[in-house]
Amino acid sequence: MFRMTRRAALGAVAGLTLAAGPALAQEEEIVIGASLPLTGVFAFAGVAIESGLNDYITLLNEEGGIDGKPVRLVYEDTGYKVEQSLAVFNKITSSEDVHFYYGDSTGFAKTIGPEIERSGDMVLAGASFATELNDPEIHPHAFITGPDYSEMVEILLEYIAEESPGATVAMINSDTEFGRDPIERTKAKAEELGLDIVLEIVTAPGAVDVSTEVLKLRRSRPDYAIFHGYVLAPLPEFITQAKELGLETQFMGTFWSMDSKQWADVGEAADGYMGVMPYRYYHDTAEDAPMLDKIREMRGVYQHSGYMQGFLSAMLMTEATKRVMASGEELTGDTLKAALNSIQDFDTGGIIGVPISIPGNSVPVGRVYRFDAAAGEMMPVSDWITLGD
Amino acid sequence: MIIGTAKETYRADAALLTTRPQQTWTGVLALVLIALPFTLNDYWLYLVCLMTINAVAATGLNILTGFTGLVSLGQAAFMAVGAYTVAWMERDLGTPFPVNLVAGGLVAAGIGIVVGIPSLRVKGLYLAIATIAASFILHFLFVHWEAVTGGNTGINVAPARILGTELVSYFGLYWIIMPITVLMVLGAANLFRTRIGRAFIAIRDRDISAEVLGIPLLRYKLMSFAIASFYAGVAGGLWAYFFRVITPDSFPFMASVFLLAAIIVGGMGTIIGALLGAAFMTLVPELLRFVMDWASPWLPNATVLLSPVRTIVFGLLIIGFLVFEPQGLAEIIQRVRRFFRLWPFRT
Repeated sequence: MFRMTRRAALGAVAGLTLAAGPALAQEEEIVIGASLPLTGVFAFAGVAIESGLNDYITLLNEEGGIDGKPVRLVYEDTGYKVEQSLAVFNKITSSEDVHFYYGDSTGFAKTIGPEIERSGDMVLAGASFATELNDPEIHPHAFITGPDYSEMVEILLEYIAEESPGATVAMINSDTEFGRDPIERTKAKAEELGLDIVLEIVTAPGAVDVSTEVLKLRRSRPDYAIFHGYVLAPLPEFITQAKELGLETQFMGTFWSMDSKQWADVGEAADGYMGVMPYRYYHDTAEDAPMLDKIREMRGVYQHSGYMQGFLSAMLMTEATKRVMASGEELTGDTLKAALNSIQDFDTGGIIGVPISIPGNSVPVGRVYRFDAAAGEMMPVSDWITLGD
Repeated sequence: MIIGTAKETYRADAALLTTRPQQTWTGVLALVLIALPFTLNDYWLYLVCLMTINAVAATGLNILTGFTGLVSLGQAAFMAVGAYTVAWMERDLGTPFPVNLVAGGLVAAGIGIVVGIPSLRVKGLYLAIATIAASFILHFLFVHWEAVTGGNTGINVAPARILGTELVSYFGLYWIIMPITVLMVLGAANLFRTRIGRAFIAIRDRDISAEVLGIPLLRYKLMSFAIASFYAGVAGGLWAYFFRVITPDSFPFMASVFLLAAIIVGGMGTIIGALLGAAFMTLVPELLRFVMDWASPWLPNATVLLSPVRTIVFGLLIIGFLVFEPQGLAEIIQRVRRFFRLWPFRT
């Protein structure tokens, strides 16, 4: 019978340690954590964001990772529920050494915010463009891959002021935290640019019957109407009814209601719909966009604009990590955020058409697109607009 | 088989723990609850705290729906009332957290009484609709009463403090959430050893007969609403300190459905049922994540592919329990207990 002596036990432990040694050394990698809504109302975006994040990480790893260390995305489904997002956050951060985390909602970002600041370990990126996250004083470790919601509307207003000075504008917002987000800043910016806000409509969440709102629109006959706080419904209904009433209002939207494919599915009513998009679309064949060629090589079919957001998020998160590691500093919330803010005139490979800088918590760049129903695609109608320039 | 448990006094007969094994296992449970935070990592501790908060709210709903027979789909709205009260007091008054929690419970109880008034006229599904209406009215208030609720942005809640120490870690929070939950659950268990609790059960079984027996329906139905809402309010208050930010979207209508599902799956009309139901509804979706983790070495991109499956499996499990164990998880516990109690004889 085999009897375990002290020596045998020590030998076994030493043997196991030796065996595990190389494995442990290989495990030195950079981990990015993510709470992603792969099910639930926001699943369409979550799945696209996951592909974007993972595709960029795959490209990076093929080129040797960061300083020879591979990057790995660790993520779980949240169902777009804050409680589950937090569970995922705790699960991932309990078992992995995470310095960048991608969150799925404004609610999650607000809830985890105090913990991120307390621990000082990481920077929080995510799918939320909430204006309140774009305050480095309150959220020094938050980061938005694009303009915040107020900046998106401001980009639209700058475009309007350029195209038709003194135009009248209607604001149509959903009665949610998401929808009400840019209202105050929209009014201030409109006043600054000499635009006239003639109507403010706040629709109940999930409202489908918009006929009374369309009548209000007919009474005030604005030149432009800016939707915010929606993905698709009830925008097509709104636009169709307005067209039937003979209104010539130009309808516009912000990032989450600007996916090309979703408007292509709407059909003829979508023709002429405009809005702001911080990234190039999948089908954009601009010459200065080699990264889009790579994306089309990897993915043969159209990718939702959430994909570009995820892709660019991964690019900027890993770029900041690379900069901190090159400087020999420790990866912490402070060093990573400082590295993000050191990004100036950065070439995104054409994901965004101009070199970008990150002065605060956001990337305040965007371009206005118009949907062309005949082509079934969003077409650019403006140059890239960088706020603060 | 347990023998020799004859009781000589009514008091002994009505005790919560009547047999030695019951007392032993309760002692073991108490030790486990004390040891838990020292052994679990943040992830599991988070889940235990969340489950415990849900258990308080579900216990309250069980008093109303399981024991008094009044169906409510407004429990999450009462939680929100408690949470907002705590957040408002913490922000504007700066009162200590035990005072805030009690106030959260009391305000929710007050509103519960008002919402409960239709229960004197309507029952069943009709009452459920009345409570849904109440929760939508409350939601409207949360969004538009900006001076108090902060509107859509909500309120950030300062951490609870004990003797100047801020409770920000799950470890620290556990020590307020768990004892309060134990107290609340013991309170609920004791409630049904009193005249009030028995009156609730009488109303559930046949309200007309209960009234004939001398139970004033008005008083007891509203009392049941008040107690259930008090539990929800305290649970909401704990939730506020746990998550530290409250918006109108924090307690959606689906959260009420979640709590009702918890008591149905756990076992309506039993104290342990609410606890088991809360544990099931909170933990099972998380445990299913580990099943997916096991599949990931064989299936590339398993998380994306299997996440919808996880939701479906969770739904199927709920349906499975309803079909095969209509009395809820509590009945399984009873069966196990009966097995050991009567062993070696068959149940």
